[in-house]
Amino acid sequence: MDRRNFLKIIGSGAASAATGNLLTPGRTFAKDTPTVKEFYGILVDTTRCIGCRRCEKACAEANGLPVPDISESKSADVLKTKRKTTDTEYTIINSYDTEKGKFFVPKRCMHCNQPGCAAACLVKAMKKRPSGHVTWASNCIGCRLCMVSCPFDIPKFEYSKAMPRIQKCNLCFDRFNNGGIPACVEVCPTQALMFGSRRQILEEGKRRIATNPDKYIDHIYGEFEVGGTSHLYLSAVPFEQIGFRKDLGTKPYPEYSTGFLYAVPFIFVLWPIVMLGINRATKKDGHEHQEEKHEEKGKH
Amino acid sequence: MNRKWIFFWVSIAYLILISYGLYKVYTVEATLRVKEVPATIKPENKIAIAHTEIFGKLERPQVIFNHGKHEEAFKKEGCNTCHPEKDGQLIFDFPKTVKKKGKTAIMNAYHDGCIDCHKKQSSEKKKSGPAVCGDCHKEKDKSIAVKYPVVEFDFYYHDKHVKKLKEKIGKDDCGQCHHTYDINEEDEALALVYENGTEESCYYCHEFGQKRGPELTAITKVAEKKGLTIRKASHQQCLNCHLKYKEEYLKKGEKEACPTECIKCHTGKYRTVAELEKIVRPDRDQKDKPFIDIENSKMKGVTFDHKSHEANSKTCRSCHHETLNACDTCHSLTGKPEGNGINVANAYHHVFSEHSCAGCHNKKKEEKKCAGCHHFIPAMDVETMNPKKETCTACHSGKKDQIAMPKPLSTAGLNKDKVKKEVEIKVLEKEFEPSKFPHRDIIDKLVKVSNDSKMATYFHRNLQTLCAGCHHRSVSEAEAQKDTPPNCRNCHMTAYDRQNLNKIRLLSAYHSQCLGCHEKMNLEKGRKCTECHKAKPGDPKKIITMRNEKVVKQNTSIIINEWRPE
Repeated sequence: MDRRNFLKIIGSGAASAATGNLLTPGRTFAKDTPTVKEFYGILVDTTRCIGCRRCEKACAEANGLPVPDISESKSADVLKTKRKTTDTEYTIINSYDTEKGKFFVPKRCMHCNQPGCAAACLVKAMKKRPSGHVTWASNCIGCRLCMVSCPFDIPKFEYSKAMPRIQKCNLCFDRFNNGGIPACVEVCPTQALMFGSRRQILEEGKRRIATNPDKYIDHIYGEFEVGGTSHLYLSAVPFEQIGFRKDLGTKPYPEYSTGFLYAVPFIFVLWPIVMLGINRATKKDGHEHQEEKHEEKGKH
Repeated sequence: MNRKWIFFWVSIAYLILISYGLYKVYTVEATLRVKEVPATIKPENKIAIAHTEIFGKLERPQVIFNHGKHEEAFKKEGCNTCHPEKDGQLIFDFPKTVKKKGKTAIMNAYHDGCIDCHKKQSSEKKKSGPAVCGDCHKEKDKSIAVKYPVVEFDFYYHDKHVKKLKEKIGKDDCGQCHHTYDINEEDEALALVYENGTEESCYYCHEFGQKRGPELTAITKVAEKKGLTIRKASHQQCLNCHLKYKEEYLKKGEKEACPTECIKCHTGKYRTVAELEKIVRPDRDQKDKPFIDIENSKMKGVTFDHKSHEANSKTCRSCHHETLNACDTCHSLTGKPEGNGINVANAYHHVFSEHSCAGCHNKKKEEKKCAGCHHFIPAMDVETMNPKKETCTACHSGKKDQIAMPKPLSTAGLNKDKVKKEVEIKVLEKEFEPSKFPHRDIIDKLVKVSNDSKMATYFHRNLQTLCAGCHHRSVSEAEAQKDTPPNCRNCHMTAYDRQNLNKIRLLSAYHSQCLGCHEKMNLEKGRKCTECHKAKPGDPKKIITMRNEKVVKQNTSIIINEWRPE
């Protein structure tokens, strides 16, 4: 083996190892992920939220983001505008004036049961974990299809950075794997946020509605929306008044394209073959006969 | 040739593929259309004529009819120019007659009624109204709603009418307005009778669509057949009388008496209970303090202060929902068909009924002053488990004809060492200065609120009752030993309980209890964070206890196993 061959082998081996790791990031996390059978999520009771923005601060601390100033004087200014999540704020609180008074609504990734972002991702960087968390991994190619496909406008791109990443709430996946609960839930002073398995929080949400029929409207946002989400919301007023979209339907987002995507290989591969076969089968009569028929058709 | 065929089929396949793709992309569920809400204008004696219940979708815009103008114009001719008359009584219908049934007949009747008169007026060279379609069916009136506020029964006016009638007739004759319908009388002309002492509310017979007992249902059916809704019946009864006496009062110089214009009655102003308190309620031989004692019942009898409840309700119907008889005439111990099968215990204690004692008292407790504490206390009915004995005996005293009003509460006997003046709460000590909770001030305030209300004074028998507003779910045996109500942290833990996810933590308990009460009592104080939490000097501290650092693996598995629901 000469020097050139040796370098070739070493180089290709290293490259393949690197790409292999990049393309299948799940493998690197696999050993940490506990085998969970249920999706976990957060029940958000908007009637309990007092708009203190401690969840924003805790989120920033837990994820190593710039910590916001949540003093009351500052908050009053911040809450005047309707904000969206950004690449440095995974969770935000908006205030809404409604027919029943002022309500604060925490907004973050909904962790859909069938996320549009994960379906749109070309390299499986965005992934729905068995525990319900929708996470992002570093093999992202930066196509930003997840941002387009999200019905809640959650994933955000770091436009300002040289090596941009997609940033969004991951329901504190690391903390969950270490037996913890999301940072926002830990610090909420009124227990407006409740962490648990989706079954548990759905049960609790329904119990609250049943025991306080005057307080809540009879709807849990996220129970059926876009095929169900792991983040569930309770409200005292119709959800469109507190900034939720009611036009999303109950169909999971990936399902809008599955029919089409499954049809593509069928049409590309099978259809021409079938037609070719039929063509061959009908060719028995010879060229002249076909020509005659064709010409007759043409005359009409 | 072969190639041509392949090209042909492949191109068709592409066509199908493309059309299928386009179909999938463009058949996304449509968004909901927002319903248009019509703009409401001031009534100003105008009436919107649309009859969408008959015509459905209108071909032309609705007509906004100015009734006030017409009333003014026909002052001399009288109301019977437009409204039909029957047995000397005006019936406030328009048009006078509708010959046939159906949409066209009604439309024609309206057109004839209005346009004929307008034409006649203009031919006589008098001031007249429009005769062309667009002058009545105006496009700009298309989505306008004219809404008159409902007239509420008011004892102020009832009292006035009673006095005026006595002046006029010289004796108590309520038959001018009140009548009863004898359902057993075969001759319909004789069925409507008046008997002194049987006066009841108009609503009992003339309000349809309510749940009622068998006898009243039969009577309301007759009224319904005649089309005498509460609206029609009251217009007929009030306006005929008002028209009759109006002239007389005008001569006397009382211009405001006997109003006939729409907005004079439909003012939208309603008297409060406090305003009505001084007004004498009609006497129908009711007792001031009846003793309610149901035969064979397990509970002791209740002496009921009927008189003070009269003054505290707007109408008799607030409690007497069907007749002005005593409750036990229809509601027996086991329930009778007359009482809709509702037994007497539920009739008095049903939590959600508007007519029961408990239901009405619960509504009272939702008021601003009471809701601070009572918002957190679940309502009680006959099915409540282990009620305190004092709660029941407050009403069920068994003492005839006497109601013992307890003394107002006083804080004089409180032990100053045990009942702290100020409590420091240090849960968020890391971030803020300790919160100062003015314990004694709050007690004083609650005592004042309780003493100001007669109802609260009656039911809050001792000071401990008020303590339970915050120190809820206390265990009386434990307290008896320690002689203090329990601390919040006895039950509410600071940490997140993984076995019981919904358990209220200490932080949450404080916030929901304090803020909930301040919000329900509509207090201006204590709604802002800084009022309780003074900022601590120095850099802001970290608020989460667990960072996203890997915990030692061995511990990990244990923790996860512990809190998984399986």
